[in-house]
Amino acid sequence: MTATRSLGRSRLAIVLLAGGAAASLALSACSSSSSGGSSSSSAAPTSTSSASATTAPALQQGGTIVIGAEQEPDCMDWIASCAGSIWGSYMAQVTTIPVVFNVRESGEDWLPQASSIMAAEPEVSAGPPQTVTYTLNPEAVWSDGVPISSADLKYTALQIRDGKDILDKTGYNFIADIETPDPQTAVVTFTEPYAGWKVLFSGSSGVLPSHILEGKDRAALMVDGYSWSGGPWIIESWEKGQSITLVPNDNYWGEKPKLDKVVFQFTADTAAAFQAFKSGQLDALYPTPQLDAIDQIKAGLPGARVQVQTASGNLEAIWMNNERPGLDSQAVRQALSYSIDRAAIVARVYGPLDVSEPAQSFYPPILSAFGGQDFSVYTLDLAKVDALMTGDGWAKDGEGIWAKDGTQAAFTITTIAGNLRRELMQQVLQQQLQAAGFKLTIENADAPDLFGVILPDGTFDLGIWTLVTTFPDPGLSFAFDSNNIPSEANEFSGLNYSRTNVPGLNEVLITVDVATDEAARLAATQQGDKILAESATSLPLAAIPNVLLTLEKIGGPTSINPSEGPFWNLQEWGLLAN
Amino acid sequence: MLSFAVRRLLYSIPVILVGSFILFWAVRSAFDPLVKIRAIRDPEVVARETERLGLDQGIIVQYWRWLTGFLSGDWGTSSRTSGDVLPMIQSALTVTLQLLIWSLLFATIAAVLVGVWSALRQYSPSDYALTGLAYVGLAIPAFWFGLILIQFLAVWPQQLLGWSEPPFYFIGLSSVDKEGSLLDTARHMVLPILALTIGLVAVWSRFTRTSMLDALSSDYVRTARAKGVPQHRVVINHALRNAWGPLITVIAIDSALLIGGLLVTEQIFSIPGMGRLFLDSLLAGDVFVLMPWMLLVATAVILLNFLADIAHALLDPRVRLT
Repeated sequence: MTATRSLGRSRLAIVLLAGGAAASLALSACSSSSSGGSSSSSAAPTSTSSASATTAPALQQGGTIVIGAEQEPDCMDWIASCAGSIWGSYMAQVTTIPVVFNVRESGEDWLPQASSIMAAEPEVSAGPPQTVTYTLNPEAVWSDGVPISSADLKYTALQIRDGKDILDKTGYNFIADIETPDPQTAVVTFTEPYAGWKVLFSGSSGVLPSHILEGKDRAALMVDGYSWSGGPWIIESWEKGQSITLVPNDNYWGEKPKLDKVVFQFTADTAAAFQAFKSGQLDALYPTPQLDAIDQIKAGLPGARVQVQTASGNLEAIWMNNERPGLDSQAVRQALSYSIDRAAIVARVYGPLDVSEPAQSFYPPILSAFGGQDFSVYTLDLAKVDALMTGDGWAKDGEGIWAKDGTQAAFTITTIAGNLRRELMQQVLQQQLQAAGFKLTIENADAPDLFGVILPDGTFDLGIWTLVTTFPDPGLSFAFDSNNIPSEANEFSGLNYSRTNVPGLNEVLITVDVATDEAARLAATQQGDKILAESATSLPLAAIPNVLLTLEKIGGPTSINPSEGPFWNLQEWGLLAN
Repeated sequence: MLSFAVRRLLYSIPVILVGSFILFWAVRSAFDPLVKIRAIRDPEVVARETERLGLDQGIIVQYWRWLTGFLSGDWGTSSRTSGDVLPMIQSALTVTLQLLIWSLLFATIAAVLVGVWSALRQYSPSDYALTGLAYVGLAIPAFWFGLILIQFLAVWPQQLLGWSEPPFYFIGLSSVDKEGSLLDTARHMVLPILALTIGLVAVWSRFTRTSMLDALSSDYVRTARAKGVPQHRVVINHALRNAWGPLITVIAIDSALLIGGLLVTEQIFSIPGMGRLFLDSLLAGDVFVLMPWMLLVATAVILLNFLADIAHALLDPRVRLT
């Protein structure tokens, strides 16, 4: 599992990462990756909650496409701390690094499924100690023809568990031992029960080739790209600042790519990228749904297919610092929640993409099987605001602002400066809270300050950032367990920035982390959501949709995978036959 | 002249040193070099990096370590990419210089032609028209210029002519499978160079016009005309030669600033130059790139000013450098 601080994939974006918590969620400063349902149309966006792929007719073999990439990866040593870029994962990790579990659509959800490197579903023994036995597919080989083996799993696990400068050790730090009785079998023994074991060798890590890397400087061999692959594509080149080029892996044991070459062209400017898309210089775009991108889509893109996926893994929320004066009162937090017309905000910002429903859980749509709808009680209700505030000893002063003991209910709200979508939200919130008797001041900061200083130090009242699900596992303890409140005790490493500390919540969240019984786990997620909603520790705002734009000349089942991104099935893409 | 040049170069060294220390101090104060390492939440790694980078020592010691490394070619490792900083900056600088050299060349020629033309036809309709255009160029922000050029010279021509691709590209430096093609490179470079050139011409042409007007109204030009020197020789040999001085100074200063200041142009046209490197590094708090980047630009400012003084002296016989 991953607790990832992701600053998203906007054009100016960077990604910071912090491992060590019990859920595959990322805190994103800009909107970020993926989700479940998608729909497609030509030139005009629509959205549904089902993940239907767009299937093109006959495709030709061969050809080249150029895809605009908003962000260049910082490095390609995927398990290292420099590899936080979500775009790096989309472009070069998903396409070249084999994983034990892929995330695939199952009904309305996207769930982990054993990948084609596995001969069978891993076998779990509850123990104690808990063990997981992996049996590998003997046909699965690296690009040099060497079979993907249990030694590769062992090498990867130990590199992550014992390595330095590792992006995310979550889960691997529970590994007590890994045995390799034969080349196709690996047995992992855990130090304690670990419900999220499916994230191992999947998600942000994958499996690395021990026969190439063992005994060598892995970082040096991978940081600038690598020539081997265990996926359908091989990295042909990485022209720093310009592009990444993929070509087919001829030794791939599964379905081979139809295209001869895919070029990811780094496009820093959204407006120019859309113009390049319209002019045919770029064949596909996966833009962050910022206001400028939404406007461009709304204006129409002739000759293009627009796929909007509303059931994403990105959850934007209004986070409240539960330790700040005023916000340390549950009544005030509830009153704030009743003061905000979330539906109006969502409609204003995402209306052009047909998204109008606010999120009612801290689980994003990709994890809709978990949690509940408990936050649906929070709709605009000024009568309840009055009752809660007066009941808590507040009264409105001459300015019409709630005050108690001479102190006004005045708060600041912080997000990343320059994020126009969030800045628009802040302005709407300012007006709505003013009408309810709260004073709100906007104090934005740059990303390193926000995630490096302000949130860990807790020097904010309200904030807007996004949880990004990178693997469909429902653990939320990293964000709400009181032991994860950043403090000197944990060297400010916790990610419970809202300082949530609700009696009884920790126990429920731990159950979600360790329960191997799925029913018990599900019940715990629902109980957790209920406690969070009742205490109004923060307020989920909306799932940020994902948007994939492709020219009509591109065929194949183009769709967005909420975990692996829009290029998860790139090998099936192709140019339409004439 | 030689002693002046040597002295100026020697003077430049302490200026660069003081400037670099101020930059170093400012960058260290503004950014935590270990911000990314801290995110890993491994105290052992943080302690190791603190010791390796000497962050537990005084700012003077840290600066000295960095400076000696810089001078010996060890520019450090980027905290963002884990790559060596020196080749990163070399690569970005090469790209930026390509843009810059062509833009400076075209802008200088155009600015001098426009400025001289306007000065010779002061208050004529063509002077008013060129003045108006220059103000338009001054008023429009660089990013807007870029987008307008894309629309007017790439998107619309393609649509109007029904071509499968635009006449000029505006993403990156080369097309897929056409790396090394001169024509392809030219089609990628035209719009960014034009965007840059227009902005420079707008400023420099006003400078040239003013300098030329001053020169044309001076005694030595009147004397030359009275002596029957032909108009073109008066303009080129007397007026323009004297008008060059201030223009060269402006060009030198602008050139140095542009080495680091092409951010907008590089961003719009997705060009991996110095501006984008700076922005990426700034957003990531990558002090290991920011420091040498800023020192390089500061050094360029100082050296180009020095070269401007030399050029000024060579062009203007009244200037004597001793």
